Amino acid sequence: MASREAVRAAVRQVRPILSADKGEARKRVLNLYKAWYRQIPYVVMDYDIPKSVEQCREKLRQEFEKHRHVTDIRVIDMLVVKGQMELKETVEIWKQKGHVMNYFKETEEPKPTDFLSKFLAGHE
Amino acid sequence: MAALVQGVRGALAISSCLLRATLPRATIVGLQQKGIHTNLCGVTPSAALLRSRNESKVAAQRWMASNPGVKPTVVEIKDRVLRVCKDFDKVHAEKLTLETHFLNDLGLDSLDHVEIIMAMEDEFGFEIPDGDAERLLRPADIVRYVADKEDIYE
Repeated sequence: MASREAVRAAVRQVRPILSADKGEARKRVLNLYKAWYRQIPYVVMDYDIPKSVEQCREKLRQEFEKHRHVTDIRVIDMLVVKGQMELKETVEIWKQKGHVMNYFKETEEPKPTDFLSKFLAGHE
Repeated sequence: MAALVQGVRGALAISSCLLRATLPRATIVGLQQKGIHTNLCGVTPSAALLRSRNESKVAAQRWMASNPGVKPTVVEIKDRVLRVCKDFDKVHAEKLTLETHFLNDLGLDSLDHVEIIMAMEDEFGFEIPDGDAERLLRPADIVRYVADKEDIYE
């Protein structure tokens, strides 16, 4: 009983990754959004991708909305760090057109609906 | 020398986004006023960064210095702010007045608010830091902020 209390107290305080509180984490997220938003016209120009600036901005908004529900500050920091890494690679043109177009590709295969696709997939 | 350039480029890369934001405005102004030809497309990022950093500073200063008398009045600022807000496609034009709160009345979220502040930065040509940006929650606040920054008193 006492050990459980001690564990709970120890787990409540964790070392922060970047931000100490929600306000700071929020600032980092909004700054990342701003940086990406401003970079998008140059991405479209440099990589010559077949998407318009509006479509890219929509995709940016979708990517941020994917993690809207996250509340853990360390997870938010980690996502911001990963986003910043992606931004750096995109700005410096270390990526190539395919890497940028990956954002527009769905990562999950849609489930088969018609008979033949289900048969070939094994009647899942 | 090459290492120095590389180091500078690395340091500038993160801030390149902000820098490039000022670039188009400054170069467009330069083209209109002085006929300076700046080659934006097809230049390597590092060379563009190093050269454009100086150019954008000089061109931005020239803009204010060459037209010292031309300052927008408060009415003009109000018009411009409202026009930018109306152009934003998530804003319903009929609900928009100077006192409508972006988050509460217009139902926008914080990312939309960031986009609106960025549009204001592009419109008026100066950076709005985050600490100030999160307090600008109504068009009236933005008008007052711009008037303070540009030293326009009624």
